[in-house]
Amino acid sequence: MTRLAALAATEMRLLMRDWTVLAFAFVFPAFDMVILAGVFGNQPDDGYGMQRPDEYYVAASIGVPVIALALVGLPVALASYRERGVLRRFEAFGISTVKVVAAQALVTCGLVVLGAAVVLAVAAPTYGIPHVVHPWQTALGFAAGTVTLVLLGVALGLAAPTARAAQAAGLLAFFPLFLLGGGGPPKGVMTGTMRTIADALPSTVPAISDPWLGVATVDSSLAVLAAWAAAALAVTGWLARRKAA
Amino acid sequence: MRTPAEPASIGAMTRTAIEVRGLDKSYSGRPVVRDLSFTVEAGEIFGLAGRNGAGKTTTVEILQGLRGRDGGRVEVLGLDPARERSRLRPLVGAQLQTSALPDRLRVGEALRLFARLAGDTVDWLRLAERWGLGALLREPYGTLSGGQRQRLFLALALVNDPRLVFLDELTQGLDPVARRETWQLIEQARDHGATVVLVTHDMDEAERLCDRIAVIHEGGLLTCGRPVELIGATGTVRVRFSTPSAAALEGLERITGVAEIAHDGAVADIAADPHAVVHVAAELARRDLAATDFTVIRPSLEDAVVSLLNGGRR
Repeated sequence: MTRLAALAATEMRLLMRDWTVLAFAFVFPAFDMVILAGVFGNQPDDGYGMQRPDEYYVAASIGVPVIALALVGLPVALASYRERGVLRRFEAFGISTVKVVAAQALVTCGLVVLGAAVVLAVAAPTYGIPHVVHPWQTALGFAAGTVTLVLLGVALGLAAPTARAAQAAGLLAFFPLFLLGGGGPPKGVMTGTMRTIADALPSTVPAISDPWLGVATVDSSLAVLAAWAAAALAVTGWLARRKAA
Repeated sequence: MRTPAEPASIGAMTRTAIEVRGLDKSYSGRPVVRDLSFTVEAGEIFGLAGRNGAGKTTTVEILQGLRGRDGGRVEVLGLDPARERSRLRPLVGAQLQTSALPDRLRVGEALRLFARLAGDTVDWLRLAERWGLGALLREPYGTLSGGQRQRLFLALALVNDPRLVFLDELTQGLDPVARRETWQLIEQARDHGATVVLVTHDMDEAERLCDRIAVIHEGGLLTCGRPVELIGATGTVRVRFSTPSAAALEGLERITGVAEIAHDGAVADIAADPHAVVHVAAELARRDLAATDFTVIRPSLEDAVVSLLNGGRR
């Protein structure tokens, strides 16, 4: 087993003992999907681009665990490790911070997949799983969205001075991204300004749900996600250089 | 796999474990370490003492390759920690002044993880037994007492069977019993062949454990020597004994090395050079003043270090 795999296995075990993270990552998206899909029904609606709301929320909810885990779980874990000296403990042992961050990012990606699976498992017997119009684009959107938000989560976790600050910043980022990024009301009912903001957000939801439901291709979402990923990498690099100095 | 009971290969060691010459380090233009030089011999417990902010932790971090240096030459086990950290890393163990483990990580998991990260050179279960952690394997780090945590950190510092161990204020905040247990563990580590660098404010600990102590002041070396040498360097001991007569003490001031004589009506108190004590005792015997409570009070190492630091402006 490589060092990275050993670290990732330990991180996974630790996360599985934290019920708050598990609830936020697994229960909240499924719960949200059950309520919203149930409330808005299964009749095609103008506000949803003539899609069925239940199908819209099933597809959209696949992207919610990514936002929850990458923007709240990951930054808090990283900031807490830095604040408490866990990163220094590893560094003194010859395990670089990059490796610890990579292990946490890897675990987050694994949990994101698990979270999506939970949403699908709950959707299947309740509202059904909508037909995937562009499977490869959907998978690409899921992967790109996950990578981008994990990079943003890493930048946030390294920038926040304390775990509490990381939690506050993560929640501040989570709610607009969740509500405007597709987890809440559809773009069809948003005002012009809200829609402009939504289009600029690094949301995984449209990157997944648009190609899934055949509303649009993944291209436009990929461009936005790539810009955010580049910004996150730049911030992470700057933070790493500042620390090295 | 080497078992924890097996001594490290001392034969492969160089005689000098650490050599520091003219080390300089500044943070944002503020000098923290200045022209610091000292050597640590293989197999000794070497203490670093000094006030808070004297540069001890920075020095230790530079020696481990955790920080770069601005100037000077540093060799640790024959390697430059700044340029050859990856080669040095497997040879060194460390317990940091401020570090922790995740609260939910169990003792057994921590030992197994760090043993695996070190390449499984040591049987971590035997290591756990050796450091008295066998009964705590399923306990999460967050529930451990201070003494148990330090025992775990010490075990983790030794999980790669290092030739050199850095311990930074290991016993800070421990109760007296846990502190003494930890001292025994440090001695065990040395007995198993490791060289130990101990950063400490506890002079009882330094006197008990250290073969030599470097006193660092404002980033530079104030003095370095065996505890007894540092104590001796303060220059004065006190001799006390009961005697009802101040007249009996007349003439003692002429003994070379006697600095001061006081008498409170019942007890004589003489401040003198350590070499003068035997002459004072001989003179008292010659005068038939065979005091049954003749006591020589040496300054403690703490007295000596405080005296050095107070007089030791660089």
